[in-house]
Amino acid sequence: MPAEEHPNKAAFLQRVREALGRSDPLLHMPDHPTLKAALPRQEEKVRTVRARIDVLRAQNLKKLAETATAASWHVHGPIAVEEAAEVVAGIASGLRAKHVVRSTEDVFRRVNVDSALRRSGISPTVLAAGRSRGRSALKGLAFEADLGITGVSYAIAETGTCVVTPRKGIARLTSLAPPAYIALVEADQVLGNLDEYFALTRLVYQKSRGRTPTYVNFISGPSRTADIEQTLTIGVHGPGVVHMVLIA
Amino acid sequence: MAQVKSAAFKKASTRALHDQGIQHALNHVMNHFTEARASAIAADYSDESWDAMRTRAAAIKAHTIGNLDYYLDLADRSIRRNGGHVHFADDAADATRIVIDIAKRHDVKRAIKSKSMVSEEMGLNDALKRAGIDPVETDLGEYIIQLAGETPFHIIAPAMHKTREEVSDLFHDWLKSAPTSDIARLCSIAREALRKHFETAEMGITGANFVVAETGTVVIVTNEGNGRMVTSTPRVHVAICGMEKVLPAIEDLPVFLRLLPRSATGQRTTSYTSFISGPRGPSDEDGPEEFHLIFVDNGRLNLLKDEVLREALSCIRCGACLNHCPVYRKVGGHAYGWVYSGPIGAVVTGPMTGMKQAADLPFASTLCGACRDVCPVKIDLPKLLLHLRHRLAEGTGSGERAGTWMERLYIRRWHDAVKTRAALDRSTRLGRLLQKPLVRRGKVRSLPLPVISGWTKDRDFPALAPKSFGEIWRDGLGPAREPE
Repeated sequence: MPAEEHPNKAAFLQRVREALGRSDPLLHMPDHPTLKAALPRQEEKVRTVRARIDVLRAQNLKKLAETATAASWHVHGPIAVEEAAEVVAGIASGLRAKHVVRSTEDVFRRVNVDSALRRSGISPTVLAAGRSRGRSALKGLAFEADLGITGVSYAIAETGTCVVTPRKGIARLTSLAPPAYIALVEADQVLGNLDEYFALTRLVYQKSRGRTPTYVNFISGPSRTADIEQTLTIGVHGPGVVHMVLIA
Repeated sequence: MAQVKSAAFKKASTRALHDQGIQHALNHVMNHFTEARASAIAADYSDESWDAMRTRAAAIKAHTIGNLDYYLDLADRSIRRNGGHVHFADDAADATRIVIDIAKRHDVKRAIKSKSMVSEEMGLNDALKRAGIDPVETDLGEYIIQLAGETPFHIIAPAMHKTREEVSDLFHDWLKSAPTSDIARLCSIAREALRKHFETAEMGITGANFVVAETGTVVIVTNEGNGRMVTSTPRVHVAICGMEKVLPAIEDLPVFLRLLPRSATGQRTTSYTSFISGPRGPSDEDGPEEFHLIFVDNGRLNLLKDEVLREALSCIRCGACLNHCPVYRKVGGHAYGWVYSGPIGAVVTGPMTGMKQAADLPFASTLCGACRDVCPVKIDLPKLLLHLRHRLAEGTGSGERAGTWMERLYIRRWHDAVKTRAALDRSTRLGRLLQKPLVRRGKVRSLPLPVISGWTKDRDFPALAPKSFGEIWRDGLGPAREPE
């Protein structure tokens, strides 16, 4: 059940309306292109987007590697899916990681990160509540970990961005609390630009009748600040070391 | 509400001009910002394509603000459908009360904050402290100025006036850390200190860069990751934003996500963009159980009511107009006396807090137009500043004073003196006689008359020439005339 309307809402909106020189609410939705595109039109648009992504896959992957590198990601690959787990284990060993947390995106079914890590003497933990672990324990685990690994929903070539969508099995803190982070990106998840991402997102929203993910993060490089003397420093609150593993 | 000290603009700006630390910081940082912006834009856009994007963003903002009641209603319904709570606060006191009520209901002892300019308007930190809640700023710059007990110097670089030594001293005093001049070390001291707060705080308070009405999504753009922490670890998340932050639909975001980071820090994109559409879902692993969004008016209606000033509500708070303003670049942010500084501060402070106390701000501009040229949403800031000067001079609107009777008298006499060719010639001859005792080497060094004596306080006034151009022309320097 939605929360109740705030008691000041009606009066507040009326004052806004009057400031705009109107006395009554609008009768129709204002004419705005991004709002009025109904489902069939959005489906049409997304078909075009998907066709473009297919055609431009190789270019987008190349562009992503460039923009991600420019945004201070360490980019690996594109590599074959069979090699990906070993690459991840190699990064983890290089970082001397002991406490590794990961999430549960589909990519982990194809890339057996856990056994590769175990072979390197690291036993990873899935950062999720379960039979043996309550939600309250997650925070402590995340803050103790020295490496977080997740898959992505999409990657965006325009900006060197990994889109991570926390939900069941995917904690918000996995990609945030540890000082180092690895994102696994599969070639068919790579989009060309922001417009394509938001076109796809709006279609999902429309198809699910107004449901939208509670939380989405664009991650575009390491945590950084220039708040002291305009001097760029990485790893303030989020991970300072970020790796992107591209899987062909 | 945060104290408004804009009435002291002249005194405060004089002080800033003589403060070597501030001048050093401004000289160093301002060029850094303008160069970073220019090269970030040039890396991906032609002048034409950048301009087209600004035009598009300005149109989206104008449309949204022109139908603001509709979009606020839509945003409210969407966020509540997503399981969140929405509040509408008329002023700073209202908004503060709402935040404190939520905190009390959840028995909050400690609140962590990521950057929010509206919370600066509200003076929220002081109010929280009075209510027994310990607020901790988590943006590094904001954290530094919170420890120093100051207000932000710059909209996106709040502590830019602090040297590493000053930061080291602050950390030493408050966190007992060993003094250091290593900036990376200072950052890790802050990281460790703030981690404890991230783990334990019960409430997270953020601003919002954008609120998407259709999906009920709050968008937060950050670099440090503190925004993500504040929206992930506490039990309750309260977002506070100006009512103008709303956008119609999710596909309106790309132009803004391209314009904002390039205009602000000169980045292609910030490290993080977070999209929050309510509290965590029932199966989500972590995230706040309760989500609140507070839409705040706090004087924005005064901008909305004025058809010229309304444009100022399109501002996305990037700070580019500050960085390019010859006045801000000399006097810095504190002189403006409230939360917003530079050209946008000079426009909004008066209408939002009362024209009388901010009457000097619209005049703190050379009208060079640099702010308009760099504004990502094409706000015509010089036009708005002139409009405010006009309002102040004519005394329209409440709290605005008309020009003094003396000014009016001068203007009338000036009008009489120049309105016809014959009058101008007569006045010029008279002026030459009257100026005689005041001229030294071709300059009038001081005008000993009320009001206009200020003109010659810091500069000389050129004396009237012995012969005007018109006279020289008539006396034979003009082209020889053909005999008729």
